[in-house]
Amino acid sequence: MRLLIVDDSSIMRRIIEKNLKDYDIEIIGMAADGIEAVDMVKKEKPDVVTLDITMPGMDGLACLDEIMEFHPTAKVMIITALADKLTGLRALDKGARGFLYKPVNADDLAKAFDRLLKRNEDKQSRF
Amino acid sequence: MKTSKADFDATCNLFINSVNNYFRHLTEVDSKLNVPYLKESEGLVLKDYTGMIGISGNRKGFVYISANREMYEDLIKIFIGIDKPSDEDILDMAGEISNVVAGNVRANLGANFMISVPVVFQGMPSQLKIPDDVSIYVIPIIWNSHEAFVVIGLQ
Repeated sequence: MRLLIVDDSSIMRRIIEKNLKDYDIEIIGMAADGIEAVDMVKKEKPDVVTLDITMPGMDGLACLDEIMEFHPTAKVMIITALADKLTGLRALDKGARGFLYKPVNADDLAKAFDRLLKRNEDKQSRF
Repeated sequence: MKTSKADFDATCNLFINSVNNYFRHLTEVDSKLNVPYLKESEGLVLKDYTGMIGISGNRKGFVYISANREMYEDLIKIFIGIDKPSDEDILDMAGEISNVVAGNVRANLGANFMISVPVVFQGMPSQLKIPDDVSIYVIPIIWNSHEAFVVIGLQ
């Protein structure tokens, strides 16, 4: 599984990277804003994208629209500090497959990726 | 529209809860609250590194979290295991804490409580101007023996 990490915080990008080391995941890149992320999605076609919302330039929700247009099979997991329900619903409505509220610790990430990967295996086993 | 005293106090309590949750959830070390106070004199209460968030929508103002380098170093060590982070890492950490603390308040205040991306700075930038029409509430906190200030300014 090939992963793109998108967050304007370099510390946050490295937290996600560090906590996913034990998974069978290849991190194919990291982006610090939505514009950079869309470019990388077009070039690399990652299987999974972790996507922050509050970022300079193009925010995560606008970026999600672009990702869904150019690479609709990408599984996008939103990881954001914006803890209101409306933002979560909007992201899911736009095509996000998962949603995590910051602050996220190792357990939160593990559970979210376990769910995402389990869903992927279930889907593959049906074919 | 000016924030009423009751709304101001309620909003400050949401920020206090958000700060406590941040440290407890990520470090398993609780933060302790010292006596908060209203700031009336000129000038800002600042430590070495600060992450500031602009607030718009149904509240207008700002919130910032300011702490010395050692607190951010301890957090970065816990999160990614780096012993000697760069200045850039310290500023990034300052911005990310402020972003998370402010963003979590939307669980209670909703999506019309709008927050900016963080502005981060070291020391006291000369161009930083705080509007005269905001009430400023200073919440000193202690985490892992480090003092930090959570400062909330609302119109």
